[in-house]
Amino acid sequence: MARRMLLAVGACAAFVAALRVARRAFLAVEVAGESMLPTLRPGEFILLRRGLPAGAAGRIAFVRGPDGRPLLKRIIGLPGESVRVGDHVELNGRELVEDYVLGTSPAADFRGVNQLGPHEVFLLGDNRVASTDSRHFGPLPVSRVEAVAWVRYWPPGRVGRIARPRRRFRAPTPASSGATPTLEGA
Amino acid sequence: MNVARTIERLIRPHSVAYAHCDLPCGVYDPAQARIEAESVKAVQQRYQNAEQMKTAGQTVEDYRARCLVIKEERANLVKHHLWVLWTDYFTPAHLEKYPQLHQLFWSATKEAGLAKKSSDPEQGQKLLDAIAEIDKIFWETKQA
Repeated sequence: MARRMLLAVGACAAFVAALRVARRAFLAVEVAGESMLPTLRPGEFILLRRGLPAGAAGRIAFVRGPDGRPLLKRIIGLPGESVRVGDHVELNGRELVEDYVLGTSPAADFRGVNQLGPHEVFLLGDNRVASTDSRHFGPLPVSRVEAVAWVRYWPPGRVGRIARPRRRFRAPTPASSGATPTLEGA
Repeated sequence: MNVARTIERLIRPHSVAYAHCDLPCGVYDPAQARIEAESVKAVQQRYQNAEQMKTAGQTVEDYRARCLVIKEERANLVKHHLWVLWTDYFTPAHLEKYPQLHQLFWSATKEAGLAKKSSDPEQGQKLLDAIAEIDKIFWETKQA
């Protein structure tokens, strides 16, 4: 009897310890707003991994915005890169191929080149016509990135891993339309 | 259906993260106007310190010209965000409780207009102060 009690207490302690470890490593949030459509829909529940892993370009980040509000935005530019947002995104002068995007950036949101500092990232919402992001509040310090999206676990029909798109660039030809994208690991 | 709702309730995260946007999601927040106004003030400061801020291959004139273009653009966005709040968020009931609302918005948008002409960061601060007054009322109405 005493052994069973001991086992039960041990199991409870292990469960609590596992929960604490999980809380340190992961973060669960509900998505509000439509700026990450079509990738994330409002009302979905997602699990994020804390920290900023290597090769973060293209990942959806959980960041603290300039006013401290928790935001979900895609990491487009990494420290040291130059980003230009027009009707398409240019990274270090090369056009980024973005299959995940909905719409194109409105002319009012066009910017010059943002040369990112050694500790800055440039973030954009996938829904380019309805997102408040680095086009408006500028690059953010890397330290504001608290986690990256990993898995969607609600609703049941949309459960699955949130993929990180590989960086692809459109080949720099004079007539760029229809050019074959090139792959680059990031 | 009820089972799904129960499960959803049980697994619902405690935190919300905002895939934030303006018009389609119906989220209103004076922070948008404030962020643009902060840009205006920052550009005014940069304009004043153009000599130090410009890059090596850039002339002071070019740098300042860019500042003016960006400031004009940002000031227009301040007006836009204020008008969205004024016309879409605030209601006659709010106006009854806060009769100074029209005056506040009029003054704030006037300051945004003045920001286009001025390169003085103190003027940018006046714009931020005007937005802060609206922000205070906005959050009071949210808590009501």
